[in-house]
Amino acid sequence: MTRVRIAQLSCGPEYSGVQKEIEEAAASVDAEIFFPDIKLADIRKGFDEFGLDVRSPDLKLAIARARALVEGRVEADAVFIATCFRCAEAAIVRNELRRYIHENSLLPVVSYSFTERTTAGTLLTRMEALTTIARRRALLAREVQEGLTMGVDSGSSTTKAVVMQDNRIIGTGWLPTTGVLQSAHDVIELAVKEAGVKREDIEAVGTTGYGRFLVGENIGAQLIQEELTVNSKGAVYLADTQRGASTVIDIGGMDNKAITVQDGIPGTFTMGGICAGASGRFLEMTAKRLGVDITELGPLAMKGISKQVPMNSYCIVFGTQSLVNALAAGSLPEDVAAAACHSVAEQVFEQQLQEVDIKEPVIMVGGTSLIQGLVRAMSDLLQTEIVVPHHSQYIGAVGSALLASGFIKGD
Amino acid sequence: MAKVFIYPSTSLILSDLVARFGHRPLSAALQIRERIQTPGLESPPLQITPEEPKKGLKYAAVEVPSGVRGRMSLYGPMIEDAEAAVIVNDADFAFGCMGCARTNELIKFLIRKRKIPVLELNYPKNEDEGQEFVAAIHEFLKSLGSGE
Amino acid sequence: MNKPYSPGYAGTVTKYVFVESPDLTPADLAIRAYEISKGVMIKETCFGLQITGKETDVDPVIESLRKLDPVHIFIKDRGFPPGDPRRCRANLGGARPGYYSHEFEMSVIRNISSGLEHLPERDVSRVPSPPAPSSGTKLDAGTLKKIIESQEP
Repeated sequence: MTRVRIAQLSCGPEYSGVQKEIEEAAASVDAEIFFPDIKLADIRKGFDEFGLDVRSPDLKLAIARARALVEGRVEADAVFIATCFRCAEAAIVRNELRRYIHENSLLPVVSYSFTERTTAGTLLTRMEALTTIARRRALLAREVQEGLTMGVDSGSSTTKAVVMQDNRIIGTGWLPTTGVLQSAHDVIELAVKEAGVKREDIEAVGTTGYGRFLVGENIGAQLIQEELTVNSKGAVYLADTQRGASTVIDIGGMDNKAITVQDGIPGTFTMGGICAGASGRFLEMTAKRLGVDITELGPLAMKGISKQVPMNSYCIVFGTQSLVNALAAGSLPEDVAAAACHSVAEQVFEQQLQEVDIKEPVIMVGGTSLIQGLVRAMSDLLQTEIVVPHHSQYIGAVGSALLASGFIKGD
Repeated sequence: MAKVFIYPSTSLILSDLVARFGHRPLSAALQIRERIQTPGLESPPLQITPEEPKKGLKYAAVEVPSGVRGRMSLYGPMIEDAEAAVIVNDADFAFGCMGCARTNELIKFLIRKRKIPVLELNYPKNEDEGQEFVAAIHEFLKSLGSGE
Repeated sequence: MNKPYSPGYAGTVTKYVFVESPDLTPADLAIRAYEISKGVMIKETCFGLQITGKETDVDPVIESLRKLDPVHIFIKDRGFPPGDPRRCRANLGGARPGYYSHEFEMSVIRNISSGLEHLPERDVSRVPSPPAPSSGTKLDAGTLKKIIESQEP
């Protein structure tokens, strides 16, 4: 496997003590970080021509380096943009550079705002996705599932398995994650049984999600891949939008992903996981408080009006308290359900979707995409119709099974 | 011999002139050297660990980005230690240690707030300005006493 | 992963010696430095030298080098020892950020040399008027009127 060369455009990581975390994360996916080599004259010229008049010299340097990459004066396989969290000047540069590189080159880009607490572990999935896109363009170009394959998505909340044959889903399994390996084996059994095939007849297996390495090694998967590329692949496959642009939103149990996809290949993406208030967990808590099953929350929310319930916080603790207070003050359960959906959607919208350029169609996937109230709230915020493809809760497993066909022997 | 904080603190010109005229320049290199030569936990490239932005809390609140606080952990102690300062204000191409505009604004403010003798000027754009630049720094440093 | 760090070159200082002179090349400077370098490490670079050793050993060497061409030799401290892989262009892919700062200052260094050259002969009573941040003052109306009137019709 060739080493992927990731160009770093940044301001601040060396002074936040996190440069080594960035380099460790890259090294763990067999990639190396480098700083594009340019001259002082290039910095002045590149910065002046770009036209974003920032004050920080290191941001000027980042801008000039981005230009050198886009113009092909410096070669790279991927780009990592990193600036300090809470710096407005840097956030503007980060967003504009991401957009500029995405629109003017084929280089995959990921941007990240770090604090001194950022670790290599946090960056790993992003680096993995970045290198996958750079390294596996041919694999990601696959649009049709072939043979008999299986995908397993070992997520933080739930574990899913899908068996596919000749471009059709023939078996599924879905269970809450209890033990990572046990849950994986149980969903595989369910999927294989429903498909009516024998485990040993499956020609190739792919794994994704938090437990991908553990499960993948245990079941001898041919493909072990992070959920950013797998889910976006699965999403455009199921939504039948493999050509052209689209945006994939996946609000998960632990983190959220927003990915812009072009011809089935992720371009830019963000991944957030700091706040439980912006996750599926918040909706689970709300369902519990309302005494309904999570599957009933969506239809309930569809009947409600979110504005009827004042929410003072996005927080899973204080926000839930607002909901409880509203119930005590006589609010209707459907309004409370709608308010909870709006709260999660709004926080994802504010904190994450600002970092990617929304291109239609917008596809929502993952277990939370089955909560209609959440989809409606997101649709209202984005002012666009949102596509929820069939089997959207199996997105990672479907993406894995699809991509795994590239590993069938003789293929 | 006075301890003179220089801004940009990576400046070859200021470091040279201050030392040449008999005083001690307080530059970023001294702080980096201290970290590079102190055993601890590995944190390349500058041996600035995630602990440094926490030390920087002395100079900037927690809501200030980590890169500012990390840089302030280099500059804060030198600003406190300085007996005078020379500031070149149009240092638009000082990268790395001086690469963050917000940190640089804070450094200049903290220096001015200390009420120590400060000389502020710009880079000379021609030889005539160069002569005035050098003469001004020379005279300023001479006024600090016990120099060359 | 937290790995322990044990520094190399502890207790030393490294100084950059830049030379930008019509009469002295970095190579000339290096030859002279080698002649007088007792117990210090000399590394030649494209702009001059890096000298590493105990401060008490390095200082006399740089003072002696300065005398070769005082107005064209410039010296500053460096945090890293020479050739450190953490700052090396070969490892970083591009120049370390400080390199560009040097590149910038070297582009105006001849103005400083001129200042140093003319300093000894300068009339001590003449108040320096360096380029200053606030030098962009507005023209007052009276002066403007005079300028206009002094122009040829």
